Amino acid sequence: MSDGNGCVTVRLHGALRHEAGTRDIALPGDIGTVGDALRRLGEQYGERASHMIFDRNGNVWRSLILLVNEEPAKLGPETQLKGGDVISILLPLAGG
Amino acid sequence: MAAIAFTEEQIERYSRQIILPEVGGVGQRKLLAARVLVIGAGGLGSPVGLYLAAAGVGRIGIVDSDRVDLSNLQRQILHATRDLGREKCTSAKQTMESINPDVTVVPYPVRLTSSNILDIISGYDMVVDGSDNFPTRYLVNDACVLAGKPLSHAGILRFEGQATTIVPGRGPCYRCLYPEPPPPGLMPSCQEAGVLGATAGVMGAIQAAEVLKLILGIGDLLVGRILICDGLTMSFRTVRVERDPGCPICGDSPSVTELIDYDDFCGLRVPEEQYHE
Repeated sequence: MSDGNGCVTVRLHGALRHEAGTRDIALPGDIGTVGDALRRLGEQYGERASHMIFDRNGNVWRSLILLVNEEPAKLGPETQLKGGDVISILLPLAGG
Repeated sequence: MAAIAFTEEQIERYSRQIILPEVGGVGQRKLLAARVLVIGAGGLGSPVGLYLAAAGVGRIGIVDSDRVDLSNLQRQILHATRDLGREKCTSAKQTMESINPDVTVVPYPVRLTSSNILDIISGYDMVVDGSDNFPTRYLVNDACVLAGKPLSHAGILRFEGQATTIVPGRGPCYRCLYPEPPPPGLMPSCQEAGVLGATAGVMGAIQAAEVLKLILGIGDLLVGRILICDGLTMSFRTVRVERDPGCPICGDSPSVTELIDYDDFCGLRVPEEQYHE
């Protein structure tokens, strides 16, 4: 769980980076899990960004690749975080 | 059977790679005998096509149903201003064969579909995906898994790229990584969000290197790894990814055993009543 010793940082890629207009987002406060961080992002960056993160049932979209400190988040959205962790969100890129 | 001797011109043309111990004359013969299908003669397909032709890959198929447009030329370096309005396949064939007369380029000026893809890829040893849309990417993945053909994948947007190599039976496929396509219209295309031409060049060159390594049987492929390129910070990293035993196409009990309707899968099928409005 994150604490006052450091924010959780979310590193965006692809369409989500384009939508948010930034690469790294520091999330202060109580961020317990990767899912918490994703929900915070969805609230912060609007409906279009939220649709890139959650499916129509409100579940985390299955085609997000979630990394914590560059390692696959083994428990997906349930993966626990601590202060200073960096979450990377990869989305498919169709462009060629 | 005795190996066919190289001509003096071939020895000189390929000298810089033949002197690599990992290539040599044996490797060069493998390249000249290889058959690679490149899907898309665009941003990724251009550097792939150029490098494969230059390296002497003997037979290269190019699939693209588009014609050259002025807005393509910033990154699609197979084509020139004089090619505006020409079929991309024809333009690509001319450019690649002018680089290397050892190479035969087979143009396919068609849109890939579930009906034609298996027939087309059957004549090739491996496939390179340089397409620009999700239905084609899932179609190509599924066809390659079903046909057991290795596939080099890359995708680009703005300054970013991803690449991975799919060898059916040896690692994850595209659906293992990205099981569901995004809702139609949600993800911006390069037309909407832009792309640096050099991003396409970097990622296409990586795909070409993977193809050459696979033909030569050298090095470690990007199997089970995604290479991520961030061109703005110029950082490269690889992330481990695993095959999904529940994958509908390459999993232990696949539910998809033949090609499907990929426009429908990606939510792009226009209802008939709407189509006729």
